[in-house]
Amino acid sequence: MFFLHNLERRVTLHPSYFGRNMHELVTTKLVKDVEGTCAGDYYIIAIMDAFDVSEGRILPGNGLAEFTVKYRAVVWRPFKGEVVDAIVFSINPHGFFCQAGPLSIFVSSHLMPEEIHFDPNATPPQFTNNADMVIEPGTHVRVKIGGLRTELGEMYAIGSINGDFLGCLQA
Amino acid sequence: MVKTIQLGSRLRYPITITKLYKEPNQPIKKKEALFQYSFKWKRTVGDNIRGETWEAEETTYADWSSPSDGELKSWKIRVGQEISRDQDCMVVKESCSHDVQFGGLCAICGKDMTEVNWAAESRDMDRAPINMVHDQTHLTVSETQAQKTENALQRRLLQHRKLSLVVDLDQTIIHACIDPTVGEWQKDPSNPNYPSVRNVKSFQLDDGPRGVANNCWYYIKMRPGLEDFLKKISTMYELHVYTMGTRAYAQNVARIVDPDKKLFGNRVISRDENGNMYAKSLQRLFPVSTKMVVIIDDRADVWPRNRPNLIKVSPYDFFKGIGDINSGFLPKQQGLLTPSAAATTNGGLARIAPAPSPDKEDSTTMEPPLEKALEEQEKTLEKQIKDRPLQALQEQQDKQDEAAERASATPENGNTESTTPPPPHHRHQVLQDDDRELAFLENHLTALHKSFFQAYEQNRLSQPSSSPSSLDTQSIPDVGSILTTLKAQALSGCKIVLSGIVPIGMDVYRSEIGLQVASFGAELRSSVTRDVTHLVVSSQRPRTKKVRQAIRYLPKIKIVNQDWLAACFSEWRVVEEGPYLIEGLEDAQKKLNEKVQDAEATETVSDADDTDSGNAPPGKKRILRLKSPPRVRFATAASTGNDEDEDEDEEDSDSGGDDEDEDEDMDEELEAFKPTDADGQLSPIDGLKTFNWGSADEELAEFLESGSDDEEEEEDEDDEDGDNANGDEEEEAPAQATTNITTTSSSYEKIPAAQGTAPSTKRKADDEEEEESHKRRKSLLGPGPSSLRNELKDEDVEATTAEVEAQAAHDDQDVQDADDLDKEFEELDEEALEADFLAMDDGDGDEAQGQQVDGDGTGNGGVSENG
Repeated sequence: MFFLHNLERRVTLHPSYFGRNMHELVTTKLVKDVEGTCAGDYYIIAIMDAFDVSEGRILPGNGLAEFTVKYRAVVWRPFKGEVVDAIVFSINPHGFFCQAGPLSIFVSSHLMPEEIHFDPNATPPQFTNNADMVIEPGTHVRVKIGGLRTELGEMYAIGSINGDFLGCLQA
Repeated sequence: MVKTIQLGSRLRYPITITKLYKEPNQPIKKKEALFQYSFKWKRTVGDNIRGETWEAEETTYADWSSPSDGELKSWKIRVGQEISRDQDCMVVKESCSHDVQFGGLCAICGKDMTEVNWAAESRDMDRAPINMVHDQTHLTVSETQAQKTENALQRRLLQHRKLSLVVDLDQTIIHACIDPTVGEWQKDPSNPNYPSVRNVKSFQLDDGPRGVANNCWYYIKMRPGLEDFLKKISTMYELHVYTMGTRAYAQNVARIVDPDKKLFGNRVISRDENGNMYAKSLQRLFPVSTKMVVIIDDRADVWPRNRPNLIKVSPYDFFKGIGDINSGFLPKQQGLLTPSAAATTNGGLARIAPAPSPDKEDSTTMEPPLEKALEEQEKTLEKQIKDRPLQALQEQQDKQDEAAERASATPENGNTESTTPPPPHHRHQVLQDDDRELAFLENHLTALHKSFFQAYEQNRLSQPSSSPSSLDTQSIPDVGSILTTLKAQALSGCKIVLSGIVPIGMDVYRSEIGLQVASFGAELRSSVTRDVTHLVVSSQRPRTKKVRQAIRYLPKIKIVNQDWLAACFSEWRVVEEGPYLIEGLEDAQKKLNEKVQDAEATETVSDADDTDSGNAPPGKKRILRLKSPPRVRFATAASTGNDEDEDEDEEDSDSGGDDEDEDEDMDEELEAFKPTDADGQLSPIDGLKTFNWGSADEELAEFLESGSDDEEEEEDEDDEDGDNANGDEEEEAPAQATTNITTTSSSYEKIPAAQGTAPSTKRKADDEEEEESHKRRKSLLGPGPSSLRNELKDEDVEATTAEVEAQAAHDDQDVQDADDLDKEFEELDEEALEADFLAMDDGDGDEAQGQQVDGDGTGNGGVSENG
C-alpha cells in the first residue's frame, strides 16, 4: 500500500559545498541518498518535498555540516494479503520469481492452482495449465502476498496465485 | 505431512507424565502446552553459613510445549508413564512442512523461518538446507522436495532419452580475453590475424571489474565447430552452463553461444550462485543423484567430488598466453600438458603469460581470502589491458618473420639486393584456429550416451517393473561408472613412463597427468624397464636420464613428446606415434647398437667430463670467492654501515639455504621447467642461478654462531679504520663483478659440448665444486690471520696461473685482462685482510672478537656473489 509519510533524516554536507545554495544541495543529496531505498519494512518511492531543513551544525573533527531535514515521501509498504501486479523474471521447477517494483516475490508451485504445472520442455521453461495460462519470464501476473520478511535493506516476499482473479493478466 | 515428534533432550529425565491437555485429532499450535509432566530433583536447603545443609527432594510440574503447528494425530505416551530418556511422544500432521523456503520465509505458508523459540530444538530454516536452483541463492528446499524434483527430472530425461551435460565455458567451449588488441585487429582487414578474429564476438559488462578494466570489452572466441557440436549434443543431452565467471558474464556468453536460448535455456549457474569460489560441485545442481550427469571441463581439479562424471577436455587456447580470465580465484594448476613449441605453428614463440610461479602455487593449499582473490583477479585483468599480450606476441612474430626473411633473402639476392625492392612483407598470424577437440568430444559423448541407454535397457529387462513408464531409480545405471569403463579401454595395454613432465617433488601418481593416464587405463611406471611401451618426454628437454635408458630398448619403446599424450587424451585411443617421436634418437641408438660397450664408455667419459669441467673452473671461482668478501663488506659499510643491511643479507642467505635444499633434490627432470634461454625472457631469479647457495648456507651457519652483535661492531670499526681504503675498493668492485662473468662464460666454452647436458647442470656441478673449495678454504682459514694470508696468496697465484692457461687458447687479450684483474683482486684481498688486522689492532675489542670478525668477513663471500 502506498502512503505519504513524513520522515526525518540527517544529511551531511562537505565544506566545499558551503554557500548560498546550500539548502538546495541538501535537498538534492537527500533525494539521491534516499529515493528508491528500502527503509526497513517499506520502500521510499519518491520524495515529495523537504519541508523543513534545519540550520547546519558543523560536526567537530571533520568540518562537515549536518542538517536535519524533515521531508515528505511516497512510501510503499507491502502487506501480507495485499494483491500486487508483478512481472515474472525467473522460473524453476519449484516456482517462479516475479518483481513488483523493487520487491521480488517468489510464488511456489504449491501456491498455484492445481491445473498449473511446470513444463520444462518448453523454451524457455514455463508454468502452464495447457490453456490460456502461460507463465514465463516477462509475463504479467497478479499475485497475493502471503508473507514478508525484512532484512537490512532487503525484503523477501512470498506470493500466491491461488485464488480468484489471480495469476496471468490478460494483456 | 505426518511427523513423529520426540520429547527432546532438554528435559530432566526421568519424568512422569501427569496430564494430557490435548486429545487426538485436535488442532495444536506452536508453543502451546500439550501435556504436563513432573520430575523429581534435589534441592540443597538449610543454613549454608553454619554448614548445616541437606538435600531435600522436590517434585516440580512443568508443561511441554508443541514445537510445531498442525493437528495431533495420536499420543505415544500415556498418563502416569515414567520416561527415563528421550523418546517419541506424539504423531502430528503438520500444517506446513516448510519444504521450500525463500529468504528465510516459508514459500508455502509464508511464515518467518528465522524465528527461534524455546519450544523447538532445531530451527525451521534447517528443514530446507538444499540450494538447487541455478539462478538463485535465496531459494532453498528440503531433501524430500529435492528428491521429488530430481525424480521428475530423471523421468523426463529418460523419456526423451537424454542425459544431463554440465558445460564449462572458459577454455572449454569458448576462449575469452579482454585484450583491446583484438578489437583493433577486427577493424583492420590488413592485419594477418584479421581472418582469425573476424568471428570473435564481444560484449561489455555493466557490473564488470572496477578500475582500469572497467567497461572493457570482452572478446569471445567460440571453439571451432561449436555450433554444430552443441546442436548435435543437445539432442542427447540437456545442457547446463556452469562457470566460474560472474552471472552477467555467463549470461552474455550464453547469449552469444546460444542466442535463441534453445540449448541452455535458463540453466546457467555462475560463481555468484555457486557458493564456493574454488570448487564446482554437481551436488549444487543435482543434490540427490548424479547418476545421469556428465561434465565437460578443461580443469579437473575444480571438481573434487565428481571426477567420475568428468570428461576433461584439453583447454582451448585461442588467444595465446591469455589463459582463463575467470580463474583468478582458482588454485593454479601444476604439471599440465603444455603443447610443445613445435606443435603450435608459431615456431618458438615464447609464451607471454608467465608460467605459474612457485610462490603462487602455494595457493593450492592456502586458499586466499575472498577479498584478496577479487583484487588479484582485477589486477590480472588490468594487466591484460595494459600489457596487451597479444600485440606483444604479434610484434614478436613479426620480428621473427623479418629475421627469417632477411636470412632467406640475402643468399638469393646477393649483390643485387640494393636494386631490387624487398618482396612484400608476409606477416604470420599469431592466432591460429586449428582446434579439433570438439569433434572428438562429440564422438565420446555419443558413445557414452549410447552405452548408458544400452545399460539402462538391460537393467530394465532384467528387473521387470510393474509399469514400463514408472521410474525405477534402481534401473538407472550410473553414467560415472560407464564413463570410467569407457575411458579405461582407451589406452589399456600401454605402459607409460613420464619424464620431465611432472614437476619434481610432486607425486607422479597423484598429479593431474598421472591421474589422467591411469583413468585411461594405461599403466603408469616410474622407471624405464623392458616392458614399457611409451616414454613421454617434455619436448623442451628431450635428453633426460630416462631417455638415455630408453634408447636401449628403442624399437620396442616409443619415445614421444607430451603432445602424443595430449592427443591420446583427447582422442581416447592410442594415437599413431609417428609425428610425435623425438627425433635424433636413431643415431644415438645406432651408435648404441654398434658398440654397446663403447657407448657406455662414452657415457661414463662424458660424465667424467662433466666433473672434469666442473673441476677446472673452480680455480677461477676460487679467486672470485676470495675477492668477494671485502667487496660486500666495504659496500655495506660504505653505503650505510647500520645493522639493517646486515639483517637483509642474513635473510637473503637464509632463503638461499632453503633453495639449496631443493636444488639438491632437483634432478634433470626439473630442468625442463626452468625458463630456457630461448625464451629470451629475463627472470628475476636469473642472477640466483649462478649464485653459490652452498656458501650462503655455510655462511649463515657461521653467522648464526657468531651472533649479529659482533657483526655490527665490526661494521663500525671498518667504517672508522678503513675509510681511505674504502674508496678504492668500492670502485674496483664492479670491475671485479664483470670478470666474474667473463671468466665463468669462458670456462663454459671450454667444456666439451658432448653429452648435451644443459648449461644449468654444468653450472650446478660448478657450484658444488665451488662449495667444496669453499669448505677447504674454511679449514685453511682456521689457524690465524697471518697463515691465512699466506695460504690465500698461494691459492690465488695458483688459480691465476690456471686461469691464464685456460684462457691462452682463446684470446691473448682476454688473458691480459683476466690477469690484470686477478692482480687487482690480489691487491684488493690483501688490503681487505689488512683492514681486518687494523680493526683487530686498533679496536678496543679483545683478541677473540677479532677472530670472530675475521670469520664473518670471509663468510660474507657467499652473500656478496649475490650482488
